[in-house]
Amino acid sequence: MDEDKTQQLPRRMTRSSASSSPSTSNNIVAAKVTSLEPLTINDLLVGGDPISLDDIISSFPGRSSQILEVVRHLGPLNSPMLPLFVYGSSSTGKTSIILQLFRHLNRPIVFSSCRTCYNQNILFESILNQLLLHRKNAANGYLNAKRCERPSDFVNFLREALTNVISNLKEKSEKLISNEMTQGKIGNMIYLVFDNFQLVREWDKSSTILPLLFNLYDLLNTPEVGLIFISSTSPDTFYSNMGYVEPIPIYFPDYTEEDIRQILLRNQVNQKLYSSFLDVSLKSFCGITKQIDDLSAALKPLYEKYCEPLSDKGKGVAPNQEMKRRLLAHINPHIASSLNEIFKVSSLSSTEVETRKEEKWKGNLRRLEQSKELVSLDFHISTSAKYLLISAFLASRNPATLDASLFDSKGGSDNRKRKRKPSEKAQERKETLEQELLMKGPGTFPLERLLAIFQCLVSVAEEPSDEEEQNNDGLGVEGGNGGLMSDILLQLSSLCNSNFIFKGRSCPIEGSTRYRSTISEDLALKVARSLEFPLSKYLYRS
Amino acid sequence: MEQENYKIKAVNLLRSRICDPKFIFINESPESNHSKLKFMISSSVTEACNNSILLLGPRGSGKNAVLELVIQDLLQEYPDSISVMRLNGLLHSDDISAFKEIARQLCMEHQLLFSKAASFDDNSQFMVAMLKECGLAHKTIIFVLDEFDLFAQGKQRLLYSLLDAMQSITSQAVVLGISCRLDADQLLEKRVRSRFSHRKLLFLPPSIEDSQKLLMHMLTLPIDPSFPQDYAVEFNRKVQNIIEDRGFLETLNKYLNVDSSVKHLLRFLFCAVSRMELQTGFLSRENFEIAFSSIQRQPKLECLRNCSILELQILVCMKRLEVKEQNLCNFNSVMKEYKSTLTSERYARHVCLRAFEHLIHRELICFTDNRGQSLSVEFRPVKLLISSAELHQGLRANNSCPPKLLNLMDREG
Repeated sequence: MDEDKTQQLPRRMTRSSASSSPSTSNNIVAAKVTSLEPLTINDLLVGGDPISLDDIISSFPGRSSQILEVVRHLGPLNSPMLPLFVYGSSSTGKTSIILQLFRHLNRPIVFSSCRTCYNQNILFESILNQLLLHRKNAANGYLNAKRCERPSDFVNFLREALTNVISNLKEKSEKLISNEMTQGKIGNMIYLVFDNFQLVREWDKSSTILPLLFNLYDLLNTPEVGLIFISSTSPDTFYSNMGYVEPIPIYFPDYTEEDIRQILLRNQVNQKLYSSFLDVSLKSFCGITKQIDDLSAALKPLYEKYCEPLSDKGKGVAPNQEMKRRLLAHINPHIASSLNEIFKVSSLSSTEVETRKEEKWKGNLRRLEQSKELVSLDFHISTSAKYLLISAFLASRNPATLDASLFDSKGGSDNRKRKRKPSEKAQERKETLEQELLMKGPGTFPLERLLAIFQCLVSVAEEPSDEEEQNNDGLGVEGGNGGLMSDILLQLSSLCNSNFIFKGRSCPIEGSTRYRSTISEDLALKVARSLEFPLSKYLYRS
Repeated sequence: MEQENYKIKAVNLLRSRICDPKFIFINESPESNHSKLKFMISSSVTEACNNSILLLGPRGSGKNAVLELVIQDLLQEYPDSISVMRLNGLLHSDDISAFKEIARQLCMEHQLLFSKAASFDDNSQFMVAMLKECGLAHKTIIFVLDEFDLFAQGKQRLLYSLLDAMQSITSQAVVLGISCRLDADQLLEKRVRSRFSHRKLLFLPPSIEDSQKLLMHMLTLPIDPSFPQDYAVEFNRKVQNIIEDRGFLETLNKYLNVDSSVKHLLRFLFCAVSRMELQTGFLSRENFEIAFSSIQRQPKLECLRNCSILELQILVCMKRLEVKEQNLCNFNSVMKEYKSTLTSERYARHVCLRAFEHLIHRELICFTDNRGQSLSVEFRPVKLLISSAELHQGLRANNSCPPKLLNLMDREG
């Protein structure tokens, strides 16, 4: 009973297994939490109910050839294999299919994701914990089974652990043979699976850990060990100047439009209605991206809009031709705007999204959105910080040579009066500067320049109140200016921490720090508008 | 069930051979590296002298496999006179790990207690002392240094200590360096190089004729009671026919022209054998043709085939900028080109930016600067990682590519 219960527990939840049996998953998870018995060799199996190959193929539309290819390369029971390199873009089913296949084949695996195991030590310890059937709990002080920091320690421990596991598997296999059981064979092979393997390239010691992992097959020299690398980038992106023996590549191409249609149609209540919806929308959206996750998120609100004219919101009605035309006429105006919303990540809460959705569909959509975005500033900062932000923006955008004319005591108005008709040479220079701005982005500036511009802007802004103060006493004037200037360096530091201003490294020769404004022109206009500051007068333009 | 059993057994046998280096490199002819290496080490053992040898050759040419076969033979001939210490540059390239590993293996070999807490000096002195003791007992220690060039990085203290200890009269040791760098001995410091004997064995890829012999060796079943005789005979006859087929030889030549090392050939065999039809139980030429096409990958072309229309448009705009001899471009200049070139069906800027980022993730384009934090994505300079020919090919291979885009590309090219 206990053993049967253990085998039922799925060790790894994937998207497909979670969606296929949601109620069972809850019970299993609850059972798993309560049972803290020591781990056995069966815990290296994927677990779950036995699944047939046909079930896996039907669960993953468009993936039958890849599934069969992986099965062939894994080979019959107890068959040695060369390392595999399974690669394809995100959301192409690589990890899910590998796990489901091991569930189908009922063979032990050691699964490690290089995203959760984000450095060398954690990866080593994760592998050894699984092989040594070790679970971190209060009894052992949440320690790992083995502590190993060096690759040499890891390989020694790994050899030892693999030898033990393989011996256990052989003993188990012999028992099954003596009992004449044909079902339940798990064989003598153990498979190490490395998921998200492309992330190893960015690790600190990637120049040594990558050759080690690729050569692990030769280092271990054990026919009972199979290695599988799963990566979202192709093998040619793993650059190495010393070379290694290449694993067998298995490629998962992106889904075709027809595959995407089949995948999106699953779990839809009204298949025919959703199919007619995809007829009018899928091709346009596939022009932007073919990633299932992006498409699924983008099409969901559009489908709700599509179903609005229907009385039952698309639950049971099969659409006829007339209804299709009506729905098409209803949805057509919204497709174009939805295309441009496809990658937007909303930071509002779900209720606010609903409210905003209602507002968005009303009236003139584009103009309303445009004006609303321009008016509102999403955050609050002090007046002094706003002036500082504008000063940084101007310091980054304008050439330093224009400071004398732009920031004189009259606030830049003289510059406009003196403006002349541009000559041909000036036109050419203008284009060159525009190109330069496109390429280089915002320039850097020293702290002194920022403070000078800031002081100039603040003094211009304080001009009306100067006259009032002069009518009173001298101390008042000084106090007013001092107020805006207080703690200016601290505010600059806060803006740097908020990533509105980027602080570069100090030049070792000059010893001065240079800054760069990172805000966009739209944001600068918003800040200026909130201050009623005429930003355009100070911007260098044609 | 019995019918299915021997066919599965055949697949497993072939796969086991492909995964077993020792099965592949058995070659006892006098001119072979196997015989030469065996003679050199055997002489060192019988004459009680020191030796150092470098095994050089490309990856996958059998350096390690031949050495293991030789050591296996020698352990049978001189069971009490040889100890083998194995180190790997991927694991033990720093001196601390190397000396520790030598001490660990020496302790295991001679039933001594290994102390993890022993210091670097303890371990190095222990090695020198053991060399002396083994020399007095007329025992040869064979040091196998795989990835020898990695031991040559850094201070080379292991190499110096080892070769210096071998200068003494009493020690008997053979140091075998294995490397795929032909200049491995040039990496040594002068003091180390002067103590190295500069014997080299070159491992070369086999010729086409040798590859064919190897295929027969690998793919034929033994005529013995483990398989039904008529099945084994028929299997071998079919394999013979495949190997002699002209079309197959063309495919094999095409494959080996890229890389003629044995390991590369084994990958091909593994893919073909894995595709053997279990219903018939025989290999076919089709298995090899499909294996050839599946193992030869063009990742950039695959990426292009996967791209959406917007991503292709961005790539074409970058190619146009490249043709205009604009050395550097970034997202802003690409967008400028995008707006001026494509008049219909334009998308919002942030949608284009996400598509641009997808291209970076696919590694069809990459950043040219190393500064990651100072500039936002729009301003960082990027470059194309695909050629015009690849982009042309990719546009044609992509099913969703609009003809207008293809014309635009043709006009530029």
